[in-house]
Amino acid sequence: MAALAYVLAAGGGLAAALLGLAGMAGATFTVAAPALLPLGGLELTLDPLGGFFLALIGGAAIPASLYAVGYGGGERRGLLAYNVFVASMCAVPLAANALTFLLAWELMSLASYVLVAQSGDREAVSAAWVYAVMTQAGLACLLAGMLLLGVWTDSFRFADWSATASTLPPAGAGLAFALLGLGFGAKAGVIPLHVWLPLAHPAAPSHVSALMSGVMIKLGIYGLMRISLDWLGDGQAWWGIAVMLAGVISAVAGVLYALVEHDLKRLLAFHSIENIGIILIGLGAGMLFHLASLPALALLGFAAALYHTLNHAAFKALLFLGAGAVLHATGTRNMEEMGGLIKRMPWTAAAFLVGSAAIAALPPLNGFVSEWLTFQALLQNLRIDRAEQNLVFALGIAGLALTSGLAMACFVKAFGITFLALPRSEAAARAHEASWPMRAGMGLLALACVGLGLAPTLVVPALVRVGADVMRVPDPANLGGWLTLNISGEFASLSTVAVGAALLAALALPAVLLAAAGVGRRRRLYETWGCGRLVQTARMEYTATAFANPFKRIFDFFYRPVAQLDIEAHPESRFFVTRIEYANPTHSVFDRWLYRPALGVLHRTARRARLLQSGSANLYLIYILAALLALLVLA
Amino acid sequence: MTALTNLLAFLGLVVTLLIVWRQGWPGRLALFVAQSLLLALLAVVIGILAGKPGLLVVAAVVVLLKAWLIPRALARMGAGTPVLRPLAPGRSSAVPLLVSGGLVVVAYAVMLPVNAATTLPTEGGIPLAFAMALIGLFVCVTGRDALGHLLGFLMFENGIFGLALLATYGLPGLVEAGVFLDVLAIVLLMEGVVLRVRREHDSIDVDRLRELRG
Repeated sequence: MAALAYVLAAGGGLAAALLGLAGMAGATFTVAAPALLPLGGLELTLDPLGGFFLALIGGAAIPASLYAVGYGGGERRGLLAYNVFVASMCAVPLAANALTFLLAWELMSLASYVLVAQSGDREAVSAAWVYAVMTQAGLACLLAGMLLLGVWTDSFRFADWSATASTLPPAGAGLAFALLGLGFGAKAGVIPLHVWLPLAHPAAPSHVSALMSGVMIKLGIYGLMRISLDWLGDGQAWWGIAVMLAGVISAVAGVLYALVEHDLKRLLAFHSIENIGIILIGLGAGMLFHLASLPALALLGFAAALYHTLNHAAFKALLFLGAGAVLHATGTRNMEEMGGLIKRMPWTAAAFLVGSAAIAALPPLNGFVSEWLTFQALLQNLRIDRAEQNLVFALGIAGLALTSGLAMACFVKAFGITFLALPRSEAAARAHEASWPMRAGMGLLALACVGLGLAPTLVVPALVRVGADVMRVPDPANLGGWLTLNISGEFASLSTVAVGAALLAALALPAVLLAAAGVGRRRRLYETWGCGRLVQTARMEYTATAFANPFKRIFDFFYRPVAQLDIEAHPESRFFVTRIEYANPTHSVFDRWLYRPALGVLHRTARRARLLQSGSANLYLIYILAALLALLVLA
Repeated sequence: MTALTNLLAFLGLVVTLLIVWRQGWPGRLALFVAQSLLLALLAVVIGILAGKPGLLVVAAVVVLLKAWLIPRALARMGAGTPVLRPLAPGRSSAVPLLVSGGLVVVAYAVMLPVNAATTLPTEGGIPLAFAMALIGLFVCVTGRDALGHLLGFLMFENGIFGLALLATYGLPGLVEAGVFLDVLAIVLLMEGVVLRVRREHDSIDVDRLRELRG
């Protein structure tokens, strides 16, 4: 029963992926049921950008569903919600009018809420609560923005919005952009609207986390792309600047939070925020270039954003599935209790390593290609002759560079502490390899990471076609041959196949040389040096806390760490220590400076508003009568 | 025709005011039945004069529902209340009657533009029916127990029904049927709730709901 439901979801994913690819290639269709509901009824349509996201969702649903067959273990709860979740996500990029879009959007939110709260423990329920509040606040912004646009353009169809957007006054278009941007930004997890993400993603079952992080938050990106380049016309300069700045802040702050996080799934969730930031940097660059009438560069930035969207879906889904396998095997998400898993879970470790290398942007894997493209777009900013925009681009370059380096450090920690060295706990020592459907799901995604890394010459032209359709600019035909990708004429070129071959050769060369020199390959097994101690235990290993500490010191203005040292001495003498406990918690600046004051204001207002709520039924009825009379007299 | 519909609407308003004036529960219930019968008669008159046989069916449903089924349910609910409400200082029917008179004036004022715009033979009754609705809502507001609220709500609904009859010669049958069903469902639900509340608390006084406030 459970397996059947997941196979159904995988089949639906395959169909969606094929349909989406057809849409990217130019196929279109429209299904409408205008009489079904007010405000234009239901209408679905396929266009290249929608096709890209549909293919992305479908493509991610296949491995995630396959994995769930093994991970769920016949658990029947959440099957319906899972299928509704996948189906409603597929409907979002196909929606052709506001009502269809909002229905699909809300269905997606509700289904994912159910999945987050599914386990029913305290942590999951409170995470689901925060998620529900943030997602409904986002929906309120979307609703307001879409109603405004609907009234101003006298239509709720997206195609009409694109056609009449140029006639809107700039202030009105700006207001609509701000409202819709907040709504979509909350779903994408843009800082400071990210608070739900590190709570909800770890609480959900791992195949759901993979889909939420891999594709659901990407639908926020989908919305941002629509409002930046399609529904509201060409836009204004501050939109691009705002998107890029939001991207820089999300990328840097996201990776900084991830560095000090020792819950494996929370760490991955913070990296989702970081990667959303990288996508937004590319998108912001595309918007600014588009406004400056540089279509080739605009397409480059946009294609970089799309490519990173695709790549992040692949490697983040892979990493969440890997983390799920580890959680399944050890029963904990705390990295400090793991270690040594590479020997017990070799397949999972290999898949997780591929994902880590990809997210750390190591060539020739996929993360490298899209970050390279983003850098190439940013580096050509001097062709815009506006000093303030050049400054924003410079911030983007610096932020992206810092982010890449920190992400690398973070995944050295994530992989090293989790999979290498000796097991730090009994549970880790007794870990077992994942079942074959789980391994198959991870294997598919690992292959996707490698394939997307080696074949940018196939992927980028397709993405550029999508971008050309959205921005209504001609499609530059020549982007290099089958092996080398050229961008902006001869500005830069890349061949990941060649890079990969060179790396492989560099790895193989010493072995070949040693063999040629006749040096024998004798293996010598010996203990690691333990500072002269006789017995080596896992307690002597480097911990995740220790790894993160230098970063805490460097970025202490951001983390605001507090050292808590708790020493318990022997009652006879304080020189005989029986127990030492060290903790080094950090505080979120966004919690302290943004959410706490906002919540305080809300609570105070609510207390005042309670005066209206006396508990007397008569008084409530008086409100109704008074409202009715006021409306009748004023109308 | 104009004189007849105006007369019926006027009688309806008089009965409404009598409900405001009456204190005892059986008396109020009888007056509510009278109000419903007047409205059914209004539907019959308009149905005959405007040549709309559908309205005769509606009138039959009104008689069945509001003059028989619902009053029976209301009587069951009221079976435990004292025949005369306990007298309380400062609670006479003078002030409610005065406010009801004010509401009639408001109804005329609000309906002025509507009357100016229509040329129906029934337009004279429109403000009267609207006043019935407003007074019904007012009875609902001032109700001291669940029965009072429910009676007010039903009077409000009767007023709106009369307004629809006079202003548009009756709503489409489907809408009318839906409204009747809603009203019936509300009364039946309230019956369950009221009987249960009385069993638990020995009182259906809404003031006690205050204690539920968090």
